[in-house]
Amino acid sequence: MEAAITFERPGFVTRIKGMLGVDFYRLFHTPLFYIFLGIAAIIPALVSMGASAETAGMFTNAWQIIAAESPLYVISDMGEYANMNMVFLFGGIMVSIFIGHDYRSGYVKQLFTTHAKKEDYVISKTLVSAFSMVCMCVTYFIGGTISGTAAGLPFTVNAGSLLCAILGKMLMSLGWASLYTFINLIFRRKFGISIALCFVLGTGIPVIGAAALVGNSGALDIFLYGASVQACLSSDILSVLICLACSLAWTMIYNVLGSVLLYHRDVY
Amino acid sequence: MNAIEIRNLTKSFRGMYALDGPDMTIPQGAIYGFIGENGSGKSTTEKCICGHLVPDRGKITLFGRPYTDAGVRARVGALIENAGCFPSSSVYNNLMMQAINLGLRDRKEQILRVLKIVRMEEHARLAFKKCSLGMKQRIGIAMALLGDPALLILDEPINGLDTDGMKLMREILVDITKNYGCTVLISSHILGELEKIATHYGIIRQGKMIREIAASEMEGRAQSYVSLKTGDIKAAFELLRGDYITEFAEGELRVFDVEDTGRLSAFLLQNGQTISEIKRHKIGLEEYYEECMRGEAN
Repeated sequence: MEAAITFERPGFVTRIKGMLGVDFYRLFHTPLFYIFLGIAAIIPALVSMGASAETAGMFTNAWQIIAAESPLYVISDMGEYANMNMVFLFGGIMVSIFIGHDYRSGYVKQLFTTHAKKEDYVISKTLVSAFSMVCMCVTYFIGGTISGTAAGLPFTVNAGSLLCAILGKMLMSLGWASLYTFINLIFRRKFGISIALCFVLGTGIPVIGAAALVGNSGALDIFLYGASVQACLSSDILSVLICLACSLAWTMIYNVLGSVLLYHRDVY
Repeated sequence: MNAIEIRNLTKSFRGMYALDGPDMTIPQGAIYGFIGENGSGKSTTEKCICGHLVPDRGKITLFGRPYTDAGVRARVGALIENAGCFPSSSVYNNLMMQAINLGLRDRKEQILRVLKIVRMEEHARLAFKKCSLGMKQRIGIAMALLGDPALLILDEPINGLDTDGMKLMREILVDITKNYGCTVLISSHILGELEKIATHYGIIRQGKMIREIAASEMEGRAQSYVSLKTGDIKAAFELLRGDYITEFAEGELRVFDVEDTGRLSAFLLQNGQTISEIKRHKIGLEEYYEECMRGEAN
């Protein structure tokens, strides 16, 4: 006689817990994550050393290694770019490797066999990638503080603004993570394209290019790079809210697009 | 209840149909041997069931529910093409990830249980990339077995295994269906191995299901024949053709539906025929498969 089989329909929380659990487990068990945390900590030191050797006087304050004084959509030299936004660049590479590894190892097949709801994958990857970028922000902050001290730069700052700047950049991690996840889902079979595209978008070149045409415009805050620039040393609670709104809006857009893509396209 | 029901499934790649509307019915608890040539659509069907490929048309139900149902899919285990493990991670860590993915509570116990089933307890700490092909296949089965699956989908799990590996895999599959009530869909080219375990068969050709049959039914239909080599094979043929169904094949005379081989040889000897070789054969899965393929081709 046939044994009766019962199937419990897992709710969203149960499903996402499983997917997040495995992604976090992977994140903490992969050396890549720690390497990127290390890179995020070392970069500020390299930036400050470069500043003292080549462009002396570029940084007048240690916190400029973390964020620019005011929103700068038009970049005139690399020094203006070289702040915590660089985390989003490393984040793009890390997310590409993280998702790319899912596909190359074939593990994605295990995930999609047991997870019929493909949005679980997109949401989980976005959240875990955002978490990794937030961690990089923390190590960048630590690295920036140490290198600022080593370079003998002054630390004078409005603590609230600094906090808003760091918080704003951390919030932007979510939006960036969703963009990178989406790109990696589009080019899931072409790892090289994914990583190159994430790198290019992470530099903010499209927005910097647009800024070169329209100038320093707050309208660019609707884009991820624009809102990331908004989080500067003259930030206030409004900047944080702009970052939050922009990040959430793009996360929703990219997650919906990513889920639709996965539902309508083959995994391979 | 049927574990899998597929109706009119189609899937094309760049305008070429990989699946051209096959129907498939797999009863709960069956070991379903899925047979076909390379590129006939076996893996494509399995990938559609697992949600890896999006079908163009058709209906797939698992245990009476749509295959997109999260509840039923959480109870599907699969080994398709490879184990889907991270090469640098240990066997244990790979299984742990799958256990977390499935939301299992007693993860360690479950991992040890499946490692025991696939006889890999002693290799749990080994990096996946250092495992042999046979070990990787067994790890793939272990991954699929986690979380008490109701349905196992195994794509060529015995490919590349040596004789011992095949025997072990066979034992594992029989064990999990008997003791864990699992339904197994298994595709393989090694028909001799499949014949030893399958309870049902499906034969697919050019994306179409050409035959589905229970092993018991095939057994009932299976003909037996006696192959003969005699001094004068043509004379022997003339002697026998009045009473038996006979044919020439591969340099021998085949005599079908012979009840008493002794009587047949005695008859030939009495009529002056010297028998150099006489063997009784039963038409097995391989012959049945070839017959189906020939019939379909004609």
